[in-house]
Amino acid sequence: MTMRSLWLTTLCALAAGGLFGFFVHSGTLLSLLTQALIYAVLAVGVGLLLRQNGMVSFGHALFFGVSGYGVGILMQANLMPAELAIALTLAGVALAAFLVGLVIVRVPGVSFGMLTLAIGQMFYLTASRSRGLTGGADGMNIDWPARLFGVPIAQLLKPGAMFVLCWSALVVVLFLLALLLRGRFGSVTEAVRDNEERARFIGILTLMPRALVFALSAFVSALAGVLSALNTGFVSPEALHWSVSGVALMMAVVGGYKVLWGPALGAVVYFLAKDALGDHATHWMAIFGVALITVIVFSPAGIAGALGRLARGGPGRAGR
Amino acid sequence: MSALVLEAVDVAVHYGGVKAVDGVSFSLARGQIRGLIGPNGAGKSTVIDAVTGRSRLTRGKVLLDGEDVTALGVVQRRLRGLSRSFQRTSIFGGMSVRRQVELAAQRMNHDRPAADAEAVLGELGLMQVADVTAEALGYGEQRRLDLALALVGKPKVLLLDEPMAGLSVRESHELARHLESLAGRWNVSVLLVEHDMDVVFGISHALTVFELGRVIASGEPAEVRRDPRVREAYLGSAG
Repeated sequence: MTMRSLWLTTLCALAAGGLFGFFVHSGTLLSLLTQALIYAVLAVGVGLLLRQNGMVSFGHALFFGVSGYGVGILMQANLMPAELAIALTLAGVALAAFLVGLVIVRVPGVSFGMLTLAIGQMFYLTASRSRGLTGGADGMNIDWPARLFGVPIAQLLKPGAMFVLCWSALVVVLFLLALLLRGRFGSVTEAVRDNEERARFIGILTLMPRALVFALSAFVSALAGVLSALNTGFVSPEALHWSVSGVALMMAVVGGYKVLWGPALGAVVYFLAKDALGDHATHWMAIFGVALITVIVFSPAGIAGALGRLARGGPGRAGR
Repeated sequence: MSALVLEAVDVAVHYGGVKAVDGVSFSLARGQIRGLIGPNGAGKSTVIDAVTGRSRLTRGKVLLDGEDVTALGVVQRRLRGLSRSFQRTSIFGGMSVRRQVELAAQRMNHDRPAADAEAVLGELGLMQVADVTAEALGYGEQRRLDLALALVGKPKVLLLDEPMAGLSVRESHELARHLESLAGRWNVSVLLVEHDMDVVFGISHALTVFELGRVIASGEPAEVRRDPRVREAYLGSAG
């Protein structure tokens, strides 16, 4: 994609989201899509780690949940305005992830996945049991102030506005990531992912880029957590549970993590399909599991990969 | 600045009780091509690993342009001009040829990485496939890409680990002539580990012969060829 078409696509996407939020009045549909978009941002974070680092995390719910708690606790303590609490939480999560990343991204393959799972579950249990700070298993309400970034909170929480906000957040995240990965950082991280040893032998220190990707992916997931806290005004240990990480990972794989927007597509498909099933949704995980297997067997590059092949004209053309 | 670009002094690499390399010394003058030969398991690849910083030395030291680089890691040595290719092709499969060579060029702190990358690609005949993803290349092209990644930034020393492996006779002779001329023109010193004896004797200015982790002979090719120990141990006494 050229620079020009990247800008154009982004602006069109923002405009389309605005129009959709303005003209669609079904609260149910907008709420459903808002939830899907929040998970889309989370899945983009998980997918980023897979795409640029080749690493599978089972623990991204940690960043998703912790950011909700972070904002909630900082505001509860009346230490600072909500805007600053959000900024501080996001920065804190990214920094902590970077420092932890310096240690754990050295661990290869399955062991890395297990470490992320362990760290995530550690926080899940802590949040469930610290009744004083987090409200324990009941979760905590987040008291948003009357105005956020100058916008009256009542306006912001309307389904249409919330949809536009989450859509814009997703589009901007994808745009910034695309911009970042076009440059040197993209080349370096891809090289390290493809062949870490050779990367060292062309003079690249490999630990730093890997830790940075981990931090970046944590940051994006934390942003999803803040959006979720804003959308529901509530955060509970469920947001930290490993099953959230698992679902986000499945979304990334089904959507196709080799393109940046694939995981987001996976998240939207996930929520729409679940909704369409209606009463059968009790068997949802079984159905999604089959979908996951189907995708992995028939289109390892996910839905996005299949779409890409269609766009290029049939499955037969590959390679050069 | 020393006349010797690379000096390995009494280098030893032991893995537990196994003495893969045990007290080896050799040197490279500027622009010199030194062949490193010996039977399988003699420790040739281990020497390359030791010199480039991939394996830790049990004993000895490595000097690059007179500077002791023994304590430095792979990256620091590469940035100082110590480069290598791999016996098993080691490239970045998912990236285009140009992108990965440019990436390597950028790391070498060049003012004009794109131009440097182009020069190397042109030199190795990879211009026509510059925008192809590496994993879609043919085997010979991948071998040359491996070399290109090592040659970017005009290293002082290039360690080649069986660059001809898997190439046809014609291809290896072409590549050998090419390497010879390149080393001369770019003033790159080359340590060549290779099983193709025609190639090694054809382009090396000096030879070092290994057996069981030790040097058994060293000198000019003609001299080494006459050495009775070499003939017995390696070339076969009838040769």
